[in-house]
Amino acid sequence: MSEVASSAPGASASRARRLRTGIAAQIRAFVRTPVNVVLLIALPLVVVEGYGIAMDAFPQLPFVQAGRLAEMGRVNGAIYSVAFFAGVLGLFQVISARQADERLRICGYSRGELFASRLITVMLGTLVITGAALSVLAWRTPPEAPIVAFGALALAALVYGLIGMLVGAVLPRALEGSLVMVFLVDFDDFLSSGMLNLDSPILTLFPLHFPHKLFRSAVFEGSIALDNAAAGVTYVLVAGVVALSVYVRLTGNGGDLA
Amino acid sequence: MGLREYARTPVLLALLLFLPAYFVGVFVYVLPTSSVPIYVPGSGRLTVQTVEIYGALLVPLMGALIGGIAGLFVMLSATDADARLSIAGVGPVSLLAARFTLVAVAGLIAVGVSLAVLATTFVPEALVPFVLASVVVGVTYGLLGTLAGLVVSRLAGVYLMLIAPMLDVFFFQNPMIEDAHWLATYLPGNFPTEIAVDAAFSGSVEWGPFGPALGWLAVAGGLAAVAYYRALGA
Repeated sequence: MSEVASSAPGASASRARRLRTGIAAQIRAFVRTPVNVVLLIALPLVVVEGYGIAMDAFPQLPFVQAGRLAEMGRVNGAIYSVAFFAGVLGLFQVISARQADERLRICGYSRGELFASRLITVMLGTLVITGAALSVLAWRTPPEAPIVAFGALALAALVYGLIGMLVGAVLPRALEGSLVMVFLVDFDDFLSSGMLNLDSPILTLFPLHFPHKLFRSAVFEGSIALDNAAAGVTYVLVAGVVALSVYVRLTGNGGDLA
Repeated sequence: MGLREYARTPVLLALLLFLPAYFVGVFVYVLPTSSVPIYVPGSGRLTVQTVEIYGALLVPLMGALIGGIAGLFVMLSATDADARLSIAGVGPVSLLAARFTLVAVAGLIAVGVSLAVLATTFVPEALVPFVLASVVVGVTYGLLGTLAGLVVSRLAGVYLMLIAPMLDVFFFQNPMIEDAHWLATYLPGNFPTEIAVDAAFSGSVEWGPFGPALGWLAVAGGLAAVAYYRALGA
């Protein structure tokens, strides 16, 4: 049925309409809980400023530029807030939609369309919280290269949005999925933060390693670290392919990996 | 009943065992071999290995993180069922005790596993008060997690239960800070973390801070109990 539909006139218009419907439904579901909308603003404010205040009390660390601890704290808070928000958003997008997606499959939605609608919703949430986090950061620590900084934050959010969707597809229970996301993001962010004098090759395996470096260079130096950007984009592509593959195999298969 | 639910979800049990082990294990592996000055209650300024101080903070942090998330979801999933059980005649006190026990068990597992992994590198000087303090902060955040599960949405609750323990235990209570921010004194992790650090690095521990630590526990439990009863009534 899907092959016939794809070759019929207006099939692409129909596909676009289905995508729009799916995305609009998810946005409505999100904003129906007002606290979710408040979170988009409050979360970056609390995390960025909280990290800044906390780090400001630390003694000078030998591997951090003098007088920059509070700024480093805010920078790390910004990445942490967007990565975690996007990760949990992706997780709950997939978990809460699992049964609905099964029924939508029966109604004619393709698995790719379902994944795309979930992903686009995560991306929209990512863009909003990235803007909010950067705005909060810029209040006290204006980035030297704001557009590059926005791109770096969005990269961090997107990679974890995809990881959240992957975790949600594999572990479709809120408690288990949340535990995994909490530990993944916490661990990754702290090791990638540059606040510890770490020199281990395994650090490059963590998804936030390159976005962190890209973001720091954009905020403090105004430079674009192209190699870090390329590595970060590679992570996004890999995460996207894996998430899509797992999602497609699970959807329309009763939720079990064949 | 609740413990059987844990047993029926092997993935959850595996995660409760694996995640703290992974976190603490990899952390102590990658930390550099360097020393840092810290401020230990009752002992003043000491110079310790980086892996020791971060390891000592990670144990109560794991308890708080896992306890908080477990408390959040235990309540989110339980209130509908518990309302029906209450109508069926099960006493609210029994229900509440069952839910709180689940939270405490999750925190206890997290502390136990974290400590076991940490012990391959560093063993706290006074183990009993260290474990007690870590469990107290885990259960306190577990109770705050149950409160969050009753008051805010799932998404907001997850954010709260991630950010609050991290900021509190790992940053604001960090003993590398000589003059702590005024806010640190009012946070739930203040007294338990103070005891944990004292127990980790000195052989004699001041037991006084356990009073306010248990006070925080009682307040968190009281608030969670009130919110729970109101949720059952609704």
